[in-house]
Amino acid sequence: MKLEILNAMSEQEIIEALGTRKEKIEIARKLKELKLPHKKSEKYRYYDIESFLHKEITLPKSGFEAKEHKNALIIENAKVIAIPKQEGVEVTFKEFSDVASNHFDSLYYLSHLLNQKAIVIRISKDSNFEIKHIVSSNEFLSYRIVLFVDSNVKAKVYESFEYCGDNLDRLLYGIDAIIARDASLDFIKNQTLNFSVEPIATNYFKLDSNATCNFLTFDFTSKSGLNIFKAELKEHAHFDATHLIYGTNSAKIGTISEIEHTEKSAKSNQDARAILNEKARGIFDALIRVTKEGIYASAHQNSKAILLNSGAYMASKPQLEIYIDDLEASHGSTTGQLDKTQLFYLRSRGINEVEARKMLILAFANSAISKIEDETIFNRVQIDFEKAYYGDTKLDCIKTCHECEENILKG
Amino acid sequence: MAQEEVKKAISGEYKLGFEIDIEQDTVPPGLNEDVIRFISAKKNEPEWMTNLRLKAYNIWKNMEEPHWAKVEYEPIDYQAISYFSAPKKPPSSLDEVDPKILEAYEKLGIPLEEQKALQGIAVDAVVDSVSVKTTFREELQKHGIIFCSISEAIRDYPELVQKYMFSVVPMNDNFFAALNSAVFTDGTFVYIPKGVRCPMELSTYFRINAINTGQFERTLIIADEGSYVSYNEGCSAPMRDENQLHAAVVELIALKDAEIKYSTIQNWYPGDETGKGGIYNFVTKRGLCEGENSKISWTQVETGSAITWKYPSCILKGDNSVGEFYSVAVTTLAQQADTGTKMIHLGKNTSSTIISKGISAMKGQNTYRGLVKIGANAKGARNYSECDSLLIGSECGAHTFPYLEDKNALGQIEHEATTTKISEEQLFYLRQRGINEEDAVSMIVHGFCKEVFSQLPMEYAVEARALLNLTLEGSVG
Amino acid sequence: MSKILEIKNLKAKIGNKEILKGLNLDLEEGKVHAIMGPNGAGKSTLSKAIVGHFDVEVTDGEILYKGKNIVDWEPEERALEGIFLSFQHPVEIPGVNNAYFLRTAVNAKRKHEGKEELNAAEFLRKMRSLANELGLKPELLNRSLNEGFSGGEKKRNEVLQMMMLEPNLVILDEIDSGLDIDALRAVSEGINKMKDGKRSFLVITHYSRILDYIKPDYIHVLKDGKIVKTAGAELVKELEEKGYSEFEEK
Repeated sequence: MKLEILNAMSEQEIIEALGTRKEKIEIARKLKELKLPHKKSEKYRYYDIESFLHKEITLPKSGFEAKEHKNALIIENAKVIAIPKQEGVEVTFKEFSDVASNHFDSLYYLSHLLNQKAIVIRISKDSNFEIKHIVSSNEFLSYRIVLFVDSNVKAKVYESFEYCGDNLDRLLYGIDAIIARDASLDFIKNQTLNFSVEPIATNYFKLDSNATCNFLTFDFTSKSGLNIFKAELKEHAHFDATHLIYGTNSAKIGTISEIEHTEKSAKSNQDARAILNEKARGIFDALIRVTKEGIYASAHQNSKAILLNSGAYMASKPQLEIYIDDLEASHGSTTGQLDKTQLFYLRSRGINEVEARKMLILAFANSAISKIEDETIFNRVQIDFEKAYYGDTKLDCIKTCHECEENILKG
Repeated sequence: MAQEEVKKAISGEYKLGFEIDIEQDTVPPGLNEDVIRFISAKKNEPEWMTNLRLKAYNIWKNMEEPHWAKVEYEPIDYQAISYFSAPKKPPSSLDEVDPKILEAYEKLGIPLEEQKALQGIAVDAVVDSVSVKTTFREELQKHGIIFCSISEAIRDYPELVQKYMFSVVPMNDNFFAALNSAVFTDGTFVYIPKGVRCPMELSTYFRINAINTGQFERTLIIADEGSYVSYNEGCSAPMRDENQLHAAVVELIALKDAEIKYSTIQNWYPGDETGKGGIYNFVTKRGLCEGENSKISWTQVETGSAITWKYPSCILKGDNSVGEFYSVAVTTLAQQADTGTKMIHLGKNTSSTIISKGISAMKGQNTYRGLVKIGANAKGARNYSECDSLLIGSECGAHTFPYLEDKNALGQIEHEATTTKISEEQLFYLRQRGINEEDAVSMIVHGFCKEVFSQLPMEYAVEARALLNLTLEGSVG
Repeated sequence: MSKILEIKNLKAKIGNKEILKGLNLDLEEGKVHAIMGPNGAGKSTLSKAIVGHFDVEVTDGEILYKGKNIVDWEPEERALEGIFLSFQHPVEIPGVNNAYFLRTAVNAKRKHEGKEELNAAEFLRKMRSLANELGLKPELLNRSLNEGFSGGEKKRNEVLQMMMLEPNLVILDEIDSGLDIDALRAVSEGINKMKDGKRSFLVITHYSRILDYIKPDYIHVLKDGKIVKTAGAELVKELEEKGYSEFEEK
């Protein structure tokens, strides 16, 4: 079937067509209300969403055949094949209907309807693990992950991707992260794509009072893909999002998001950086909404893009929707070239223009990458960026940390 | 479709159905080809104009009213609107102007005679839909400047009108522009010849008067090579109860080295605190910087209307051309404004500046919506935007929706926006020095708007300040 | 005495404003020249013109460096040939590691001179010991270039770069601005150490204070885009007493 036919159906028909449980009728209703996007849909106007929905698909199936694994949840072609062996991290595969009630994205609801069961991870103790996605199938794949972070728990999740094959299809997946009171979640997504898969991640973050979430996404790619999310913040919750994209070829990539302050004194900060080469298109369509209940909010948004050549294209839409007066909100967006003064400074020290430009681009990327606290992950992401950008890594001489300096001096 | 109907119209088939009495001064509510023929006939328009109107009408018929703006209002019944009304006898001199109209001008603080004498401003006053009086025409004629109503221009300068009308805002541009193209009743035409610097500020005052009358002005300003003109548009409407639709179109064309400065003060009736009765203002304003080194600058102070839908724009086609947009938009009571600009950079080294100040008070909802687009060939194009919102009270809203699209690696877009309330510390500081709260707020608000007011011609800036005080009266505390 | 720099009838503008209006100046090898002048005279424009800054457009005249006209040279070519400017306001470059930057610059110069690159250990030793001499906190070497540095730290970092790059012509643009007395002493000691009889210095300053620390051989007075007087170090006193207004072009 083609997914777009769902638009013409009633909610009952959607349920039947997708073979979904009747309990999901509310989700079908949401899908019907929002409608699947078309090329003029406001949120998707810069992304070629129709080709994603036009294609003939067979309904995807997710599964669970987990064996224990030391520190990663591995999902291969929508099947869980390994789960992390860690105290306080429990992974099950089960029905999940308690979805976001007001996500803006119809694909979020679609993916919930496509999946009878979700991979549910409950984190009850401080923990640190990886979610690894392996895609080698040329079928349309879809699955959902639910992360529960219990009260007072600190969780760190690193999400990585591995694609093999040339004729990969599409991937529609996402995470519902429910972060309880006083809990914190660091979620780092590192997606480097050079295969023909089109991944759309549509996520939902729910932050209870005093909860914290750091959401970092890194996409260095020559193929299109989207990172969609909605975040809901209760009293004193703190949501920090950082996005870095490096696009080449004719990739259309970026972030479509909504962060909503639903209670008082929540904080949000979103920082998006894009480096665009060849004919790549960067998208930043991000809304921060502060509702009437969201007094004393602090909400900031920033988007910076560098176009490396003509043909590259940045579409930036930072948006603020504010319904109260007692808050602090701002956004900024710059698109363009490297800073002339910085470039001159480097050149005046004898560094040639090409090299100086590279240094500044690396610096631009580093401002986002350096928000990763974990040193191993920091290095992995930095190497991935350099490979994507230089085609190579020069990591050893970029960072002269104290420890390696001592080693150099000794050796 | 439309083509066929135009043919029919040209062949005169519709004339049989021409039932409206041309001697009448208003048409009954509703819109059809007969009404358009009536308007055109009333204005003694040549056939080409009638045909263009009919064409626009047929385009409009097949369009849908847009609803993407962040404004909410009751559906408009376009068939309940009367599309033409005129004062009884068009006067030939000021003496013949209805004293009541002159009195209304006085109340609005626009004494025509006094302005004429004191300020040296040529005034083309529009009451309802017909030009009542144009002054200073002789002085302008000495410089070869044409400043007249659009109706006169259609009759007297058909080549200029045919060449430029619809060239910046095509009749199919949007729903409201199409409607205006079909039914526009009057407006202003300005032509500044090559190398002429217009010796005075050109002003027009619009006023909405008759009940149930839609207002559909059409303005066309052409600045030929190396010329300069500053045009001021000010609007005011008396208190009233019915919602009124206003869908104006303004087209500006600046040729090589020419500059147009277009300033607006808009204070139409905003409705009451529940939003009842205010004016719906759906305006299409666009300027084309056609030639190299041309410049178009929009300055607007918007305090009125129940609904505002307005995006004065610049198409920067000529290399090195410059576009500017300075705006203060105030929404109080239950006003809703969705306003901003579009800066479309096509030429090399084009630059644009956007300074937008939104003030929301009471239940006002203020949205900035702006597009900055740097085309693939606009090498070296630059934009700087600053959009600040000031919130007064906890029931209002301020929304900022910029669309920033850069397709050129040598282009540069910088956008900054902040949303704040009046700082307690600033307020306290002023009050500690003995300034009462209302004055203190006023002082801060004026400071917030200063950058925009300073763009206005002097006498306009004074008026804008007075208007801002009046608008915000009672919304503080 | 051979000349390292000869500026002949230099006219230059910033934007549409002509700042240098036919300036003539010769710098001798191994000497310290100071340029003094009131605000707006064109001191910074002159230094920018010598290093090829994008703000400055040279409209007429020549800048001969070791006999070659460098007006059309790229900034990095001038640097590699030995011209170094200590910026009045060094720019902050977040994300570029200070040490990494310096090593890249040092090795670019060595490569240009046909020398082998410094290995990591040699480089680190040299950088650390010089930083130590200058009183530059070692942690600043591993921070982003100039980011969050105090005024004094920025200037010390400029001098560190100068010492590492070993240029032939050093231009110090208001090196003393924003420096407290300790920093000023450290910075000028670093500079004085670099005087070797071959290297030339051009000290650009508004105040004479720095000249108590870096003794000039010649003083040039720059006013309204031209050099209006050249004399020995004794001129400093006269300038202090009379100010710049006394000097008119002859």
